[in-house]
Amino acid sequence: MDYVVSILPQMFLGWLVTMQIFAVTLLSLPLGVILGIARLSKFKPLAWFMECYVWIFRGTPLLLQLLFWYFGLMAVGVRIERETAVYMAFILNYAAYLAEIFRSGIQSIDRGQYEAADVLGLSRRQTMTQIILPQVFKRVLPPIGNEVINLVKDTALVYIIAISELSRVARIRAVTDDTLVPFAIAAVFYLLMTAIVQRFFKWVEARLDYYH
Amino acid sequence: MYVLQANDIYKSFGQLKVLKGVSLEVKKGEVIAIIGPSGSGKSTLLRCLNRLETIDRGTITITGEYMVKSEKDGRAVYSSEKDITRLRRKMGMVFQNFNLFPHKSVLENLMIAPMLVNQVSADQAEETARNLLDKVGLAQKANNYPFELSGGQQQRVAIARALAMNPDIMCFDEPTSALDPELTGEVLRVMRDLALEHMTMIVVTHEIGFAREVANRVIFMDEGLIVEQGTASEVLLNPQQERTQSFLSTVLMAR
Repeated sequence: MDYVVSILPQMFLGWLVTMQIFAVTLLSLPLGVILGIARLSKFKPLAWFMECYVWIFRGTPLLLQLLFWYFGLMAVGVRIERETAVYMAFILNYAAYLAEIFRSGIQSIDRGQYEAADVLGLSRRQTMTQIILPQVFKRVLPPIGNEVINLVKDTALVYIIAISELSRVARIRAVTDDTLVPFAIAAVFYLLMTAIVQRFFKWVEARLDYYH
Repeated sequence: MYVLQANDIYKSFGQLKVLKGVSLEVKKGEVIAIIGPSGSGKSTLLRCLNRLETIDRGTITITGEYMVKSEKDGRAVYSSEKDITRLRRKMGMVFQNFNLFPHKSVLENLMIAPMLVNQVSADQAEETARNLLDKVGLAQKANNYPFELSGGQQQRVAIARALAMNPDIMCFDEPTSALDPELTGEVLRVMRDLALEHMTMIVVTHEIGFAREVANRVIFMDEGLIVEQGTASEVLLNPQQERTQSFLSTVLMAR
């Protein structure tokens, strides 16, 4: 028990790093909406570009993308902060997944909704923001919740470029102190975080339950 | 003066020719019923009139202004997007499947377009909305959501929503086809009231009874053409064309 208490401050610092990556990566949510809409653009080059984007960023391991943004850029003489590399990798990777979720959500809305908005004279932007997207958000909430929970755990990948987030701190302590206890503590931290995310999404779903 | 003129409309979906030269003129206050078998092109015609579908050839004017006209080579060329938007605002549309906005309350469904499109104030939009709901007999449902209403009630809300934009002409695309038989009456009643107020209406319908009672003019379409038109009694009671006769006998026999 004393051991647990003794390493908690350090674990907590690691957790803060994890939380920071998590929070910044949430920027991929609005980005995903925009990219999802762009993917459906009638302007073919844009739609095609988006398809390539999704293919590349969803089709390669996040771990490789992390290495690319840090070591890869470094190899061609571009030095960026480690944190910047992490944010680039995570935001662009998650935006690709989210774009696909939003795209399919947008496509799942009945054509009649567009037509009704259209004959009432709403502009395309108004139709999107007032009619389509509010319904999309409700529909995509479960898969988005999945992605956000994945994100909590994926933050552990940044150990590869030596950033001391929760799991790396645990690993270092485990090796130095020759014990598995830090891993158990890390697991508790992750479970707490995912529990909060889960509760949050449940709450939002309940709030949007006023219509079918 | 004509509220709407459509001249020699052609429309194909790929190889399928849906409209093969249809002309239609609608005077102010006229109620026109378009009947015909499935696939006759009657819904497509209605959807072409307010550009839910674009036409290949022909001319459409709304209150005397061109929405689309034919070039010399026959190709249809549409007016500027700005003009079309303005012209389309004169047309209300009621769909077979209501297409209410499920995430908005009944009241909000009626208020959204006046506020966003005509920049009407919220107070004024609400007042208009409540009056219209009263008119279609749904004042007490203002704060409900569409899923809480029956199909007939939803369609009455949809009619009120279209009226909230104060259109010059109302288009109905098989407004009762998705309804249980016992719910069609309430919708037809609202439409009949509109006709009595001299609203200009084009109604694509299977309700022969409604056409007979309410329409000033009945148009029978088949295979992308107007086969026969005239007063309700001419077309429905004394059809001249063999195709009209056989359609009516099939429809009326089924009742």
